[in-house]
Amino acid sequence: MMRWSPFKKSSFLFLLFATVIFCVGPIVWQIVTSLKPDAELTLLPPILPEKPTLDHYVTVFREQPFSKIIVNSLVVASITTLLCLMIGSLASFALAWLDFKGKGVILGIALAISMFPPVAIVSPLYLIIQALDLRDTWWALVMTHTTFQLPLTLWILTSFFQEIPGEIYKAAQIDGCTPFQAFYKILLPLSAPGLSTAAILVFIFSWNEFLFALTFTTTEASRTIPVGIALFPGVHEVPYGDMAAASVIVILPVILVTLIFQRRIVEGLTAGAVKG
Amino acid sequence: MKSTDARLSYLLLAPALFILGSMALFPILVVIWLSLQRRLPIFNIATFVGVENYHFLVLDARFWNSLVNTLYFTTVSVVLELILGLAIAILLNRPFVARGWMRATLLIPWIIPTVVSARMWEWLYNVEFGILNYLLIIMGLSKEPLNWLGSPSWAIHAAIFMEVWKTTPFAAILFMAGLQTIPTELYHAARVDGATSWVVFRRITLPLLRPVILLVLLFRTLDAFRVFDAVYVLTGGGPANTTETLSIYTYKTLFQTLQFGYGSTLAVAMFGCVILISLVYLKLLGREYWRELAR
Amino acid sequence: MSHVFKLMIIAISSVIVSLWSCTSADRVSQDMQAVTVVFKHGKIAGDPNTFRMLLRRFESQNPGVRVKDETLPASTDQQHQFYVTSLQSHSSDFDVLSMDVIWVQEFARAGWVHDLSHMLSTQEQDQLFPGPVEAVTFEGKIFAIPWYIDAGLLYYRKDLLDKYGFGPPGTWQDLMATAQSILANEKDPQLKGFIWQGKQYEGLICNVLEYIWSAGGEVLDKNGKLILDRPQSSMALSFMRELIVQGISSSMVITADEEATRRVFGEGRAVFLRNWPYAWNLFEREGSRVQGKVGMAPLPSFRGFIPAATLGGWQLGINRYSRYPKEAEALIRFLTDQETQRWMAIEIGYKPTRKSLYKDKELLAAQPFVSQLYEVFLLARPRPVSPYYLMLSQVMQPEFSAALVGLKTPEEALRDAEFQMNYILFGRSEV
Repeated sequence: MMRWSPFKKSSFLFLLFATVIFCVGPIVWQIVTSLKPDAELTLLPPILPEKPTLDHYVTVFREQPFSKIIVNSLVVASITTLLCLMIGSLASFALAWLDFKGKGVILGIALAISMFPPVAIVSPLYLIIQALDLRDTWWALVMTHTTFQLPLTLWILTSFFQEIPGEIYKAAQIDGCTPFQAFYKILLPLSAPGLSTAAILVFIFSWNEFLFALTFTTTEASRTIPVGIALFPGVHEVPYGDMAAASVIVILPVILVTLIFQRRIVEGLTAGAVKG
Repeated sequence: MKSTDARLSYLLLAPALFILGSMALFPILVVIWLSLQRRLPIFNIATFVGVENYHFLVLDARFWNSLVNTLYFTTVSVVLELILGLAIAILLNRPFVARGWMRATLLIPWIIPTVVSARMWEWLYNVEFGILNYLLIIMGLSKEPLNWLGSPSWAIHAAIFMEVWKTTPFAAILFMAGLQTIPTELYHAARVDGATSWVVFRRITLPLLRPVILLVLLFRTLDAFRVFDAVYVLTGGGPANTTETLSIYTYKTLFQTLQFGYGSTLAVAMFGCVILISLVYLKLLGREYWRELAR
Repeated sequence: MSHVFKLMIIAISSVIVSLWSCTSADRVSQDMQAVTVVFKHGKIAGDPNTFRMLLRRFESQNPGVRVKDETLPASTDQQHQFYVTSLQSHSSDFDVLSMDVIWVQEFARAGWVHDLSHMLSTQEQDQLFPGPVEAVTFEGKIFAIPWYIDAGLLYYRKDLLDKYGFGPPGTWQDLMATAQSILANEKDPQLKGFIWQGKQYEGLICNVLEYIWSAGGEVLDKNGKLILDRPQSSMALSFMRELIVQGISSSMVITADEEATRRVFGEGRAVFLRNWPYAWNLFEREGSRVQGKVGMAPLPSFRGFIPAATLGGWQLGINRYSRYPKEAEALIRFLTDQETQRWMAIEIGYKPTRKSLYKDKELLAAQPFVSQLYEVFLLARPRPVSPYYLMLSQVMQPEFSAALVGLKTPEEALRDAEFQMNYILFGRSEV
């Protein structure tokens, strides 16, 4: 970095800044909106609120048991992520390192499944959930989310596992490692970037998923955040202030979770450097 | 060795296959079966009509209109996402002080639930009160407020931009992870040999990133092709169905007009298109990938 | 093979299998003695606890019956989707449901709701506004009880009209002339003449029908035959297009829904607004830029015809697969009786379907403007009363939108619309 010309350095910073504005700009606007009282919502200028208020945040928690809703989302997203990683990594271990027929078929069918328009599947799925008596529970969402995120997980993990040469497995076996030991001690640590990436993507998908959540949850017992937010607008009124506040509340825990996983990626990097 | 491998493999794959088979395959088969029927639950009509629905599909002008809209939307957004995602990933590849924070920031558009971001952008695009028009006029780039969502030509691009904003992090994150698997010694060696950044990019980075590029292209194309929320909230498919995508048409057919037979046919058609696209990708870009996989 | 490995596989598989067969862990166990009636509805305006007080009152009047109320998003599309998915699967999850005025025919035809004719005698029907009664009657039988009513009306800037000596317009042409005159004199670039909802969605149909009806036109005649493609409809659509072309209605109406137009008018940037009654409270609220400057009137008509308003509002029905139809009936009776409707009007702002309440002293004392709404609600007409309505709406929306944007002439749009609608009604049932 020190060897960079001033031009290079400043253009780098400029690009960084532009990227930040690109990503964060609309969100900052959300935060500003959430602090504006209703009367000022439609005023431009001024951009910043003249009388900032926390009313919207109060409304968010008063209108619905929003903390329960956040907990529901956290539970559903976390369990979905765990299940996808566990099931997916075992399956991808086989797909990447072991020798058997039908790999292409399996990956192909998995891909096909994730490509099917969810809008059409919602009715048959409702029948299944109803038959299993799982309406308005966490499990209904965990199962449907896991099902439709497994293919992406399989593809990502298989892709990353394949980066690690299969010879390592063979060498480990010669050394007397059981497959499980090879899996646990060699594969998982080396593929930390892949695992973290898959984890983040699955978590966020489950966090944002709306169609299944709307159909399978009926009360706050299992309602997740997207449905909670969809409940803010009235028949005609759209309380932009309240919704902005709700979205700010919702973003914060996920950023925290992401920061945790970000460090895992860096750790994975240093572990991966050993492999050369 | 081989047979124990196979046994172990099937055991490892069992949980995944069980879940996919029961929760996903079954509903999909139901939908395919429905697509061969004329099904209007309101009128208690449920008769088997074979391929009649598909025959109608081919003649349905609204289907072709929505297909064209969808293809346009998909192509433009995926190309933009790919370029932007790769650019951002490369930008953030060098270690620097706030890199962890930058990466977390990057994820923010992806994190926001679509129900929120769609409304947020609707507000941003608002003709009277949206900040976009306000900034444009202040900066002198436009004399009058633009009707982003109102004119057929602008509306789809407004939706595309919103989609690109939301999903570029997906591409960037995958590219970042992919870039990290490229050993830095390769870069050093190339530099020692006197290669410029551009040559390094073309000869080393791109080829080694091929599997990730394929992954991103594949999943982003499939997602963009099935776009629903982004467009529905912003325009509802209008004005005059000029922004109606395939999934909006399918949704309206299924849940507004309650034609479960033809709606399923549209879903299967969408599915078919998507399979076609992925086959094309795998053929063009994944030859070695497939070979490696089939081993 | 490692035993630990095998164990892991078995563990995961058994987790999956047990998830498969487990019943919910989060359900409230039901009291064996009390009957719980589930009331499913879209989001109620205002504080949900206010509404719950009402339900508690019902419970105290009906010992042994508890009411569990479950909220769906206010979006009528999302509610419709939910009901279709559950009712198709013969779900018994809810007993009383709140239906949009345009679904009743459809749900009745499908056999998803109970016949409630015994709950509304002819005498009782006369106590309600005619529009909702028509909307809930299918093949001579009643399938839902009107709960609260909504209809389109005209808002105008009293102060601006007074300034130039205008009264509220009686005809559409008058409205156009008044708006033109005020715009010319005010010379305010941000001021718009007349704004309404022209986005491609159900609201567009509500708007267009008000012009077609007030021109003496109609979509379906008494025998169910299509009479949409007629000169009256053509004139109505052309007038709407003229409003945009002449600049009286800014082009923003093409993408505008209720809230978008409400905000513009509420910021003082429009002379006339077509919207629903809900907007009144927002205009009169503390801090509103147009507080005290707004007038309400029935919509204008074309010269020589009666004005019309599109009927909105929600009706209560009983799920055909409900386990407690008797108790559900009791709940509906409670929710639609005189006291409850008065209470809802005062506390929540939902306008009653009972005509007598519009002369009720208590209600008028709390909300004097309600008397103006009486005339509006009398004029309220339901959208084409047919189980095919949603399909017809899906055809009309893009066609009307095309005419407004100028992609087709009104004649072309109407012709194409009628062609497709004929196909739906009389050709093959599947488009």
